[in-house]
Amino acid sequence: MTDMAMTSHAASGASAERAAVLQKLRGRDTLFYWMTRIAAISVLGLLGAIMISLVIGAWPAISTYGLSFITTVRWAPNAMPTPVLGGLSPLIGTLITSIVALLIAVPVGLGIAIFLTELCPPRLMRPISIAIEMLAGIPSIIYGMWGFFVLGPFLAERGLGGNLSLLNASLILAIMVLPFITAISRDVFATVPPVLKEAAYGVGCTTWEVVRNVVVPYTRVGIIGGVMLALGRALGETMAVTFVVGNSFRLPSSLFSPGTTISAAIASEFAESADLHQSALILLGLLLFVLTFAVLTIARLMLMRLEKQKGA
Amino acid sequence: MSKTANALYAGRKRTNIIAMTLCYAATIFGLMWLTLILASLLINGIPGLSLAIFFENTPPPNAQGGGLANAIVGSLMLTTLGVGIGAPVGILAGTYMAEYGRYERITSVIRFINDILLSAPSIIIGLFIYTLVVLPMGQFSGIAGALALAVIVIPVVVRTTEDMLMLVPNPLREAASALGMPRSLVIKQVAYRAARAGIITGVLLAVARVSGETAPLLFTVLSNQFWSLDITQPLANLPVTINNFINNPDPNWKKLAWTGALIITFAVLSLNIGARALSKSSQSK
Amino acid sequence: MTIETHSSSQSSAALPMRERISVRDLRFYYGESLALKNINLPLYDRKVTAFIGPSGCGKSTLLRVLNRMYDLYPGQRAEGEVLLDGENILQPGIDLNLLRSRVGMVFQKPTPFPMTIYDNIAFGVRLYEKISKADMDVRVEEALSKAALWKEVKDKLNASGLSLSGGQQQRLCIARTVAIKPEVILFDEPCSALDPISTAKIEELIDELKSEYTIAIVTHNMQQAARVSEHTAFMYLGDLIEFNETSNIFTTPKDQRTQDYITGRFG
Repeated sequence: MTDMAMTSHAASGASAERAAVLQKLRGRDTLFYWMTRIAAISVLGLLGAIMISLVIGAWPAISTYGLSFITTVRWAPNAMPTPVLGGLSPLIGTLITSIVALLIAVPVGLGIAIFLTELCPPRLMRPISIAIEMLAGIPSIIYGMWGFFVLGPFLAERGLGGNLSLLNASLILAIMVLPFITAISRDVFATVPPVLKEAAYGVGCTTWEVVRNVVVPYTRVGIIGGVMLALGRALGETMAVTFVVGNSFRLPSSLFSPGTTISAAIASEFAESADLHQSALILLGLLLFVLTFAVLTIARLMLMRLEKQKGA
Repeated sequence: MSKTANALYAGRKRTNIIAMTLCYAATIFGLMWLTLILASLLINGIPGLSLAIFFENTPPPNAQGGGLANAIVGSLMLTTLGVGIGAPVGILAGTYMAEYGRYERITSVIRFINDILLSAPSIIIGLFIYTLVVLPMGQFSGIAGALALAVIVIPVVVRTTEDMLMLVPNPLREAASALGMPRSLVIKQVAYRAARAGIITGVLLAVARVSGETAPLLFTVLSNQFWSLDITQPLANLPVTINNFINNPDPNWKKLAWTGALIITFAVLSLNIGARALSKSSQSK
Repeated sequence: MTIETHSSSQSSAALPMRERISVRDLRFYYGESLALKNINLPLYDRKVTAFIGPSGCGKSTLLRVLNRMYDLYPGQRAEGEVLLDGENILQPGIDLNLLRSRVGMVFQKPTPFPMTIYDNIAFGVRLYEKISKADMDVRVEEALSKAALWKEVKDKLNASGLSLSGGQQQRLCIARTVAIKPEVILFDEPCSALDPISTAKIEELIDELKSEYTIAIVTHNMQQAARVSEHTAFMYLGDLIEFNETSNIFTTPKDQRTQDYITGRFG
């Protein structure tokens, strides 16, 4: 009995000591919790702050030009008495280059993904995947230089427009978004249950028929999500396009003519702009942000839907 | 009957062969671009490669020789600062999402917003920092550029940190909690340790991502012809220097720009491959 | 739903037994669903109590109430009372970390921390005590000896805990738990991932540990319950069907369901 009383006493002594230690730790514990929480909330705040700063910066241009900003072609920052600034040509240039880039990159990207998942010898799968993904690692200014010095002259020699053209920009963008489309398609192809493919092969389907009738329909939502993600990238790509698009504020007559995009206009003019001109460039930035925000939101929602479907 | 079946089969087979050939062609097409771009970089960049690149500053126009030392050091400073600011914020935010807030609705909202930020055009980040930092300070500066890079780093690190912590098995957390560990210690001593390789991979990927970024630096740090370590002033940096030199008719500048492009590309690609190797080795463990 | 504590358990023991933990009218919810229905149960000091029952019966849930492990997850809550030395551990404001340092737990799968064998043990000790390296060495040896692991690892204390075999890892986890000197140790199916030889070692260990600790063990293995425990609780669908001395449960069960389960008619 005495023994038991003693141990229980000793235990409560030890636990009082522990309680004191834990009490001391509690402050640090709470501090860490709040540090993580504040960091997490600041990620939310970041998006809001970006939006607000763009709206504030763009406000002079919005109040001066209103909706006519997106219907006006003329871009004359030095016009007197007030600059005439219309964003239609960069807006159109952005859309054209991005869409043409996707028209090229989507079939190629899907082709590579099909090659990687269905045809490639397992030994080559990793090196080829890495090589394609390395395209995404190359800094965008390098694409711009390469487009300007290598691809542009190549196209010009063959009569496909001048050195600087929307076509050149679209091609460069296509190469840049190719790895995104490939990687996402390959990943979503991997979500197809093997039993589905086996069943199709079992009834005598060729590889192409399996891909077309089983793999692609099964992963459609994911592929579209990946394409939208790539579109988001293409819309906002700056340096590569700035080098090769020509930076000309005119409505392009064809793919072979020079044009401009929102990001190229900002990159080439912003550092030397002031007042209303600067505000108009920020307004272009705001339009670009809203556009990519919408595209990326759709992309994420689609990819999320696919994940839910996979989880169910 | 069997004749038509055979003909049908032959047709299907032909379609298959055509389609599969196109897939091969697509792969070769994709790999071709990589080869061509890397080849141009090597051909144009190697002739300028010398020790002077790393020890001499950028030359004035129409001069001979010179190097990129100030630009390389400036880029290292900007990247270090940007990652130094962005990575801790990203790791902490990712920690909240995976550990404390895993079951909260706000976490899925943050994840969604973070994914948007991850793909937001970097030039927009440049505009944001311009209005937030450059305008109030009244000048371009290294710190503004570092902040722009930090904004790009954050979503990359948030994403990988959250993903990697989610992979840490719950029983490990329970086991640490069962010893009476306070939650913050469970996270710092056990969860971080288990997810270490993955989190480092994320940071390396972020370094790779920002070290080639040009657009957000154009009107935040600008650039500097001279040697400077002052982050409150415009700072020389590799991407903007390349951008300025390549657009100039001076052949010496152009040569330097190609060499800079070669250095930056191989640095970024090695970082990417290193990060990949690290994540692979941690997965196999 | 309520059960009588059989008086025979009191009289047959040589020494009067002290209730270390008393579970009173415990109800447990996962969200809206009731997982434990009015559980009443004693855990006696320095005895082993086994919880048995078919999977989903709530035996692990009950165990996880005893150190409030469920608190890590939202939507899980307990009502009623669980008294540890007379103090209700379910009351709000209780220091969970302190509670868990007094009520240790060993899990189903071995969970060594991703650090050295030495640090796996020292890690928990360092939290509560500032002791010298020499004293820590003693503590580590003590804990590993208690877990019957010292001889096997004394030459590789700096190796990763993950480099050990499954059975060794589990004993490392036990060593880690005893190193911080708990009063109660909870075992959640500690042998389900182990081979028969490792299982025998763990059972032997539990037998030795009970001279110092109050022990509760969840097991799906009835032979194990019969071998290691003094008391057994049979649970079924969130109810405590029967609690008695282990010998009585296995020879003369009072409830038909207990009998069906131990004779292998379901489960």
